[in-house]
Amino acid sequence: MPSSLSRRRFLGASSAAVAALLVPWRNAWAGTVGPHPTPRQGITGANVLTKEQLADAPDVIPLFDSIRQIPEVVDGIRCNCGCTNPPKFYSLLSCYESDGMARHCALCQGQGKLAVRLHTEGKTLDQIRAAIDAKFG
Amino acid sequence: MMMLTTMRRFLLLALCAVPHLARAQIRASEVGTVSQTIDGTKISLEYSRPRARGRTTLFGTSAVRWGETWTPGANWATTLDVSKNVKLNGHAVPKGKYSMWMVVRQDGEWTVVLDPQSHRYHMEPPDSSDKQVRFAARAEAAPFTEVLTWSMPELRMNGGTLVMQWERARVPIDIEVEPTLVMTLPASDAEAYLGSYSYAELDSAGKPAKSMTFTVTHEDGTLKGRWDPEDPYFKKFALIRIAPDWFVPGVYDKNGQIYEVLKPEMVFEFTRANGRAVSLVVRDEDDHIDATGTRKP
Repeated sequence: MPSSLSRRRFLGASSAAVAALLVPWRNAWAGTVGPHPTPRQGITGANVLTKEQLADAPDVIPLFDSIRQIPEVVDGIRCNCGCTNPPKFYSLLSCYESDGMARHCALCQGQGKLAVRLHTEGKTLDQIRAAIDAKFG
Repeated sequence: MMMLTTMRRFLLLALCAVPHLARAQIRASEVGTVSQTIDGTKISLEYSRPRARGRTTLFGTSAVRWGETWTPGANWATTLDVSKNVKLNGHAVPKGKYSMWMVVRQDGEWTVVLDPQSHRYHMEPPDSSDKQVRFAARAEAAPFTEVLTWSMPELRMNGGTLVMQWERARVPIDIEVEPTLVMTLPASDAEAYLGSYSYAELDSAGKPAKSMTFTVTHEDGTLKGRWDPEDPYFKKFALIRIAPDWFVPGVYDKNGQIYEVLKPEMVFEFTRANGRAVSLVVRDEDDHIDATGTRKP
């Protein structure tokens, strides 16, 4: 247990630290910040970054592709990493658009992966929100 | 007169134009801060730090008279800012920013006064009001401290100790924050998880890399887990419920106090059959499965 945990925690802490350095307004591990947003009517995944835009981060392309498939879910989730202040930010979906903060942020990725998994398992948006709050809030 | 006004305006503009020069002052009591986050509650204290400057006695002299309502600092009153409701020495303190005062006494306990008007000068102690938070604090004898110092030398997962030291006085104040997690689990809820599980850590390819036994018990009202062979860091740890069938580990120190909770890095997700937990997976903050377990017959 200790070897894998240490490595995992080191990697997690490293990626969080890199994200914090790259985007100074982000307060990683900041905890719950406000209520979950209401998914915007007609929201699509058209602005989720593409594999071409993620050429420098190929490991996260499958995750971005999955997020693109469920914008109506991810747009109803608040990001718990403290990234609610940047301009044009609305929801966890915003982390996967524009400057694509989720390409670096371990918490954005973790929340995104959990949302994708639970949606695949048939969970409702409220159930997904509750799970994300329990784990990341 | 006109000339004087113009000069004043010029000086004011000059000061505004070069703020870094205006700030660069040497103070007898330089400003200091103490800030600490405990389980999501941020506690911040800002104060000017008077020095003894050769004075061997301060309390009970013209510097700080017995019975005086004194701010434990200098210049503008010391402020305490708490981001959530807390308890200080067992007294409820609503979230907010306060000026901080102490009624100092030669004999008996001192009284700490938190006044909602946070910006007050030290020469203007507040009158007593029902909007203040007041509580007793014990002043202890301590080695001589030259510069008035606030610190937080002790931390727990649900609080800590805030300490003021100056001259030969030391005033500890216990802080208790609102916990975000509940450590205990009713026996009736714990029942479903108790027992032993065949447990396997997975490698990066998702294949079992290391096998062990994982045992869940219920002790002192808390669900606990341990591996066999024992993990030297975790030893026997608390399983803290964060959602139905989801638990995070809380690691105990040598005094039996939880000092680290691995959330979201390590979530034990149990699966039930007929109401009883039959298997589990351990997921990291990336939702990756690090280990699996199956209940032993």
